[in-house]
Amino acid sequence: MTRSDTGTATRTAELVGAYFADPLEALRSTTSAVAEAIEAARRSGDYTSARLDALAEPHALATFEATVAPVYGAGFIAALNTLSDAPSHLAWWQGPQRKQLQLAGQSVNKERIDYSELEWYRMPMLTRQPHVAGPYVDYLCSDEYTITLAVPVFIGEEFLGVAGLDLLVEEVERDLSPLLAEASDAPVTIVNGAGRVVLSTDLRRATGDSLRGPATAGLERATCGGIALEVFVGS
Amino acid sequence: MIDPVSSAAAPGSAGPTRTQRALFQPIGDEGRATLVERRIAEAILGGVLRAGDRLPSELELGRTLGVAPVTVREALQSLRSRGLVVTRRGRGGGSFVAATADPIRYAERALAATSRLALRDMLVHYGTVTAGCIRLAAERADPREARQLAIRLKRADAADLAGWRHLFDDLQIELAALSQSARLTREQIRLQLELSPYLALLDTDPEWRSTSYQLMSALIETIADDRPADAPEAFERMLDATAQVLIERQSVLSRSARRAVEPAAGSSDVSSSPEEER
Repeated sequence: MTRSDTGTATRTAELVGAYFADPLEALRSTTSAVAEAIEAARRSGDYTSARLDALAEPHALATFEATVAPVYGAGFIAALNTLSDAPSHLAWWQGPQRKQLQLAGQSVNKERIDYSELEWYRMPMLTRQPHVAGPYVDYLCSDEYTITLAVPVFIGEEFLGVAGLDLLVEEVERDLSPLLAEASDAPVTIVNGAGRVVLSTDLRRATGDSLRGPATAGLERATCGGIALEVFVGS
Repeated sequence: MIDPVSSAAAPGSAGPTRTQRALFQPIGDEGRATLVERRIAEAILGGVLRAGDRLPSELELGRTLGVAPVTVREALQSLRSRGLVVTRRGRGGGSFVAATADPIRYAERALAATSRLALRDMLVHYGTVTAGCIRLAAERADPREARQLAIRLKRADAADLAGWRHLFDDLQIELAALSQSARLTREQIRLQLELSPYLALLDTDPEWRSTSYQLMSALIETIADDRPADAPEAFERMLDATAQVLIERQSVLSRSARRAVEPAAGSSDVSSSPEEER
């Protein structure tokens, strides 16, 4: 007899929710300071990408330390067409050395990078809520299979951009798999809003595969509070 | 052929394998300069930098790209020899995108100079990787994700050919990313950048633009309509059509390039070329 009851689904969903709540809180704690710094830059009439880099850097670097989650990259992404010298900009630091990201286009010319359609930008902007985006292949920043946590930054009604951090799915798998295996005898699978497997303790389920529709019949399920992830228990 | 590594192993003994030999190939220190060169060349050939644009100074480029100025200098030298960049000395000097670095003319020259065999092999490599991406993407994508791509495709604007190519390259890479494989996506990006100048050349033909638009649209639709089994065939149609027009174009270009060279062949003083002086 396995413990694959609704109790298990709820319990494991809480575990997953708590895992992401900590880094989300780390981001949220920076947003008012970032908004103030941006407002000051704009008052002085020189809100450029260089100025954004300078004001975002201390917050981004602090984000790496402010959570137990394995942060791979962190920074601030400006709302489109808000900077005085470029239509878009990612002030982003990543990797073991926490080096600043230089995009090919940004380094030689101020090419526009249109991230308006990307989940980590669009969702927090539209919902005004923190968002767990992915997993997705992040070919803009980490070049890896990534989950991006993003928190919108507003001044009043005006959207300024998102404060974000990247987690590599590989690291999340390493952190969460043992916790989930311990919490449930039956296999546990975390699925995102698009019906995509984030990770599973069922060895036959691959991260990235889809688990939706009829395939979910007969599985106990529970949503992870406040974020667009769901937990399925059973195989 | 004498192979220094395998001939050192006694006959019959388990000599180094192919992969071991690859391991002990010299790495060389040209790696970083090549990367810098490739990145700037892509910006020029992708129309991001235009003829006459000034490049940042060696120091500045080195800083933003995170490499030593000497590495930048080496990359600029290669770009000069490829005719993509010119350097002027003195006041108002610096490195500029060469007037001859028009992406279309450059692609024509490159296509004329390549062999049909190399072109076909490149397309086979591209097609195999992309087909793998498409198959996985069709299984794994949420149809809504593909619908987003269909909306972006509708914004294709033939009045801006550089933008047109950017969009098609982006869509191809996004389709690859839907495979959820980071490795495959990285490989797709590399191959897409390699093929992109040639595809930009094809884009200048309005008839091909409309054909390629329909092929891309049909491919995206298979995923948006949740018909994963149809996606590989839709991609194959797209690849076959692309290969056919590209190879025809290559054949025309290399023929006219040969014709341009032939009359001059007899009269040129071959003996003064640096190769002959050795």
